[in-house]
Amino acid sequence: MKHAVANVDRIKRQLLRDLVEQNVDLIAGRPPRPRRRRGALRLSLRLATLALLSVALFGSSRWLSTLAEPRPVSAAAAFARNPAPPVSPARLPGKVPASETAFAGMVPPKPVDAAVFPLAVRRVVIDAGHGGTSVGTRTPQGVLEKDLTLDIAIRLRRLLEKQLQVVMTRESDRDVSLEQRGTLANQAGADIFVSIHLNWIQNRRSRGVETYYLGPTDDPYLTRLAASENLESGYSLADMRHLLDRIYAGVRQDKSRKLAEVVQGALFQSLGKLSPEVADRGVKAAPFIVLLSTEMPAILAEVSSMSNEDEARLLTKPLYRQYIAEALAKGIRTYAGVVEGAPEMTLAGEKGNPIQ
Amino acid sequence: MSEKKDVLHVGIDLGTSRSSISASNGQRHVVESYVGWPLDMVARKVLKKPVLIGREALDNRSMLDLHRPLEQGLIKDGSEKDEAAVRELLWHLLSLVGADRESRDGMKVRAVVGVPAEALRVNKQQVRKALQDAVDSLMIVSEPFAVAYGLEALLHTMIIDIGAGTTDFCVMNGRLPTEEDQRTLTQAGDFIDDQLMRLTRERFPEARFSIHMVRTWKEEGSFVGTTKTPVVVTAPVNGKPTQLDITREMQQACESILPSLSESMLDLLSRVQPEYQEKVRNNVVLSGGTGLIRGLGPRLEQELQTVGGGKVKVVKDPVFAGSDGGLSISTDAPDSDWERLSG
Repeated sequence: MKHAVANVDRIKRQLLRDLVEQNVDLIAGRPPRPRRRRGALRLSLRLATLALLSVALFGSSRWLSTLAEPRPVSAAAAFARNPAPPVSPARLPGKVPASETAFAGMVPPKPVDAAVFPLAVRRVVIDAGHGGTSVGTRTPQGVLEKDLTLDIAIRLRRLLEKQLQVVMTRESDRDVSLEQRGTLANQAGADIFVSIHLNWIQNRRSRGVETYYLGPTDDPYLTRLAASENLESGYSLADMRHLLDRIYAGVRQDKSRKLAEVVQGALFQSLGKLSPEVADRGVKAAPFIVLLSTEMPAILAEVSSMSNEDEARLLTKPLYRQYIAEALAKGIRTYAGVVEGAPEMTLAGEKGNPIQ
Repeated sequence: MSEKKDVLHVGIDLGTSRSSISASNGQRHVVESYVGWPLDMVARKVLKKPVLIGREALDNRSMLDLHRPLEQGLIKDGSEKDEAAVRELLWHLLSLVGADRESRDGMKVRAVVGVPAEALRVNKQQVRKALQDAVDSLMIVSEPFAVAYGLEALLHTMIIDIGAGTTDFCVMNGRLPTEEDQRTLTQAGDFIDDQLMRLTRERFPEARFSIHMVRTWKEEGSFVGTTKTPVVVTAPVNGKPTQLDITREMQQACESILPSLSESMLDLLSRVQPEYQEKVRNNVVLSGGTGLIRGLGPRLEQELQTVGGGKVKVVKDPVFAGSDGGLSISTDAPDSDWERLSG
């Protein structure tokens, strides 16, 4: 008995020493001290084996992209089967150029039957368009696109984060190049990427929503739009060649189109109910770099037209931005096959119809 | 006449749903982890306070910018408001045990604060930044570790701390738990609330109720397996208070966390050194508010049957298990160590 008590006291003393050291390191801003653990070696071996197996079996990290449409699996079920820790951008490793990855330049494999891998959407990257010195477009009243996209993105995160892991490309008003956005999404291992933008349409009477996925276009309007959105890409010409190789590899295009369709459907259905003048401008393909640089199904949603006076006025209302976020969330959940368990609650103080 | 002490030790469990404090002067308190600031001038005039905390914040939520700072077990990255909310919550807890700045009268306050394991892993510095000004010396620990320390369950034990935002698993091997010894799931009390909300809405589409009502229903009637007492709640249907039997929905919602819970428990067990697996299987401890779900312990014991059987104990006082553990750490740590942690 005495021995057991002494043993507990000894363990407590050791634990307290370690705990204090851990907290002293924390105060000093030092990283945690490495421990010599058998397990660490085991983990490294496991990871190395897994990497070798992936290369041997599939020859490329792009093998996932070649799968046909996955069988829908609810995120809840997916979590139950394979719980993964939440990811915060703060934990993401540093940027690695795509050309330096172990799998760059390998030959794409033959398509594999998706039924073999019941894939689920677990992690969503929400990209608030523009930010920092890139202000995007602005309403006649001076409201900036970068501020609106961030607000809608934060609302969308709140709506999704109970069911899906959400990674934001930015959470404040700061510059993030298109390249950084793509890299962040790729390194986060995101399952889908949703970029939020607000449109400026020459015909200012026109108001509507449209959603893009990656693909070539002959439409001069879309070429101009893509060129303007691609301005702050951060890519060099050499990077571009590597990126362009990916376009026609058949990658993700079907899944991106599908995602674009459901999100566009949800946006139009929801916002069209509020104001019948909102037009369904459809799902379109265009070569946006932010979509090009990602390795997962990716879309760019133009959720409103800032050029239209009525839309510009509505966009200043928090509740309208909440409706937009809810419509986006609905589309994403539909794509992800998530059961709509969480109540779609508006924020405190945001009640009623913004149109009225 | 009370003895004047130079140092007040406090253990704080900063939880997603509830936060508790245990102090060396014998006081213990628990508050709901909600912090709200009046939305506008009108609200400020009505409420007569710059900030509301706990139940008071929840009751006046329509007039508040309401924050639940550790939702999903993390301080939201880059959210100054959530950091401020953590600070307000901590100061409020300290004031409840007479340790706020005005009442201290030169007394030093040493605090051990338990936070969800995920917060400790992901945003340690943010947690420290949010807390450091409120006390003289501060130690941050993971909640399951604080529980284990308080119970002296330091060797060959698995703690399953089921809170609102996260479920933390931690195997104690007589040393500080490493990443390998821990798991975190986001399926916990809030997840059950969402399921119960959805299922009840489906069954009674005309009934009106909020997530806060659902949370109260769960706290009163949660169970897994079978129950002899039906779960009957009251909610307005077309404006008229109506009794709803939600027994089946409650069971389904509570059982929705079982697959991931048992999978993580068994997976973590399988990683324990083989010679100690049996000991750990027989020392599984359930803590946290959601750990009080009726029948959960026996159900997890059933799952343990598949690997040779085991015993699951539920902590007697889950509300204060974390803060009591923190207080034990605080009083056990020598003065010399505390001095290194000041400032």
